[in-house]
Amino acid sequence: MSGSSHAAAEAGDSPGKIKETKPRRRYELDDRGFDEVPRKYRKYYRKWEGPDDELAPNEALCPVCKIVMRSVRELRDGDQLYCMACMTRVRIVSGENGRLETRVTY
Amino acid sequence: MTNFLDAYSIQYWLESCPQGYLEQTEFGHEAGQKEPDALLSDPLLREQAIRVTCQLVSGERAALAASSGLINAAPDEASKRFLATQTLDEARHVEIFTQRLYDLGVKKDELESVLADKTNPNLAQFAEILLEKVDKKDFVSGVVGQNIVLEGMAFTVFEMLEASNKALNPKFAKILSGTIADERRHVGFGENRIGALISQHPEKKPEVEAMQRDMSYFMLATFADQFRNPEMREEIKASREKAGEEQQASWQGAKLGDMEPEELENLLADTVLGEFKQRLSRVGIDYQTPARP
Repeated sequence: MSGSSHAAAEAGDSPGKIKETKPRRRYELDDRGFDEVPRKYRKYYRKWEGPDDELAPNEALCPVCKIVMRSVRELRDGDQLYCMACMTRVRIVSGENGRLETRVTY
Repeated sequence: MTNFLDAYSIQYWLESCPQGYLEQTEFGHEAGQKEPDALLSDPLLREQAIRVTCQLVSGERAALAASSGLINAAPDEASKRFLATQTLDEARHVEIFTQRLYDLGVKKDELESVLADKTNPNLAQFAEILLEKVDKKDFVSGVVGQNIVLEGMAFTVFEMLEASNKALNPKFAKILSGTIADERRHVGFGENRIGALISQHPEKKPEVEAMQRDMSYFMLATFADQFRNPEMREEIKASREKAGEEQQASWQGAKLGDMEPEELENLLADTVLGEFKQRLSRVGIDYQTPARP
């Protein structure tokens, strides 16, 4: 997987976006024991604990395999993430209630 | 095709699977883990565990036949290599669930007759629909049937079984957690590959949708037979008595220990069908509501 440009390690990219005025909060990621991807990428993912599991501002749920993807930066509308556990690319979008949601990109 | 498989390789599979969540496992569980004495010593619980495991072995045998058959039907090298790793995953599933049957007391020379006796005929019909598509080398239908419908069902069934066995049977729960990890890749391949392919073959949609409806019906009929079986009610009762206060399994926000068999059946069926609907809608296929048995 080395050299992949799609890893969640590089998550949070918003290609073509105008420079953001409000700086993003950054996060130090710790290993949450997710062992379904190669070792060096494990900190970018964690298991979802179910409907009561509240996601942090740097986290998004993969709609395909229900794994939580974690970014080193706060996520915003237009960001793209890659779920290495199921090889799915997602885009972050603002939902109707203003909450961030994910859309799969094929 | 899309390049979602650019980042996938046998090396990636090795680092994620055998060197990841399967490291130091034996037949999918930790060394030394055993089926609980409470299960092995109770004829009703043991019989029910054998019955459930027979469905898993039969389902995985179908998945093995389908994924290996799809390799030569795949139109590109990357899909062939992915399906080669999936074939090994499915073969492993067949092996670990078969080993569980042996651990539950099924004798090796009785395996085939036990499977023939206990595999639900509706599950066999479910598999037959899929394998017919694979035999015709129909890649689009085969991938939808295998990686979205069959794997989508397995993903949800395994999650429910894992949640309900975590406290009672850590060995079985560990086996299931490894298979769930495999299923993530399989459903991911299904959605991503079909998401790109179905737009190139819109003429396949009616056939694929009919297949999904028919497979879904036989899946629901399998669930119905399983949960409406009078022995199931007894088994659940016996299982709860043995578990006592330890049973706090919850799944999808529901407390499994408080539910009647018909409620469990509805929860499982609705969850699987809901997932089908979402997955198919994402890839541009119209979900077809199956008849309810």
